[in-house]
Amino acid sequence: MSPSFASAEQCLETSGFLFSHPCERGASTQCARCQKPICALHMRVLDGAETVCVTCARAADNGDENRDGSDTSTDEDDPSYYYEDYGYYGRDAWRGSGSSASSSSGHDTNDFTEADGESVRREDDASFEEDLGGS
Amino acid sequence: MAARRRHWRLYALGGGLGHLTRAAALARAAVARGHAVEVLTNSPFAPGLPLESWLGPGATVHRVDARLDKAATVAAVGAWLAGSTPDVLVVDTFPRGLAGELVALLPTVRAPRVLVHRDLNPVYVERFDVAHAVDAFDLLVVPGEDAPFAHHPRAVRTAPWLLLDADALVSREEARRQLGMEDGDARPVVAVMGCGRPEEVAEAGETADRLRVSLGERAAVGWLVPTAHASGQAVWPALAVMRGVDVLVGAGGYNTVQEARATGTPLVAWARPRLYDRQALRLREAERVGDAAQLEAKVALLLQEGTRARPAAWVNGVHAAVEAIERVARQAGA
Repeated sequence: MSPSFASAEQCLETSGFLFSHPCERGASTQCARCQKPICALHMRVLDGAETVCVTCARAADNGDENRDGSDTSTDEDDPSYYYEDYGYYGRDAWRGSGSSASSSSGHDTNDFTEADGESVRREDDASFEEDLGGS
Repeated sequence: MAARRRHWRLYALGGGLGHLTRAAALARAAVARGHAVEVLTNSPFAPGLPLESWLGPGATVHRVDARLDKAATVAAVGAWLAGSTPDVLVVDTFPRGLAGELVALLPTVRAPRVLVHRDLNPVYVERFDVAHAVDAFDLLVVPGEDAPFAHHPRAVRTAPWLLLDADALVSREEARRQLGMEDGDARPVVAVMGCGRPEEVAEAGETADRLRVSLGERAAVGWLVPTAHASGQAVWPALAVMRGVDVLVGAGGYNTVQEARATGTPLVAWARPRLYDRQALRLREAERVGDAAQLEAKVALLLQEGTRARPAAWVNGVHAAVEAIERVARQAGA
């Protein structure tokens, strides 16, 4: 549940992809996990019930709290996972287009980096066909 | 000139400027061939752009307020589609519609349907059965990048679409003038593109400020915005002045990347998180940076390397797309 929050406090989540800086919007609620004041833009809802900040949502979403950072096994968090066998759109098809691949065989470890995961907003944003400015 | 003037409708809903830019490229090429084209957009930039005069006579732009909620946006789409029946309906990127509304509305459209088919978040594709939605289209046009159903039997691939052909760009000298460079100032120009979400436009301004400090007199740094915004320089379409840009800094959106590559403009870009588009897949390793330090270092390196030969012309896939759409409309109207 989202806690009631009647405050004129500033959102304490950070904005900025390259240059991180505090969000300047007014807070409209509070993260249920870290209690940080957050604005609507930086609010996420976990499992349709728990209102949390983006940082806590990412941690929960990735199961990062206890995750071994050296674990490189394939999972759905890696966008390349979807390219291996999805429909018509296999890795070979992408490579064949000459668009971005730099390797001609096997798994190209340069295809995706940790930062690339940020290139697709998490599906748990539950925003597909709801966030009309999110494309 | 087209053999017969057709009435096209282009659905280009979507945030930022990308969907509108691609639709404008197609609309301009279609208008040039004599067609009447209606464009539907909810881009937050659309109200500030002189689209009608730029697209030419025969073009109409319907601007849906970007601030409308889902129900109001869906109602606006329904009203737009309920107008006179077009000869062809073209939908950019979202076969189900941006809000899923086309699933119910498309069956009411008695005209050939064309999808501008691009990459989409695979989770969305799977979860919303996009494969089924794609089958409602008579033609899929794939504009220069791979896409989930690019091998569909009704899919046609083209080169990337650009707003302008090579001969419509101004000369390097004129472009530098339009970018604010004075005669006699020989410094290279670094242009930082402010597009996407409002906070991203503002962040591009911060990026430009930092580059001015780090580069000093080695370059003139401009913050380009499509419509008036703070101290940014309003330039639209930016492609028109690309010959005056020595290094382009931006995000990995379709138009920025394709315009840079077509014009041979060195690009330094970061992959912005998007709900549907995967910018990291589009960017090449040589183009991509992950943080501010990398960005500044890469721009400095490109400036150090100096000017390079730039292509004088390129294939603009939008013309092949217009021809493919004309064929579908012609077959349906025969």
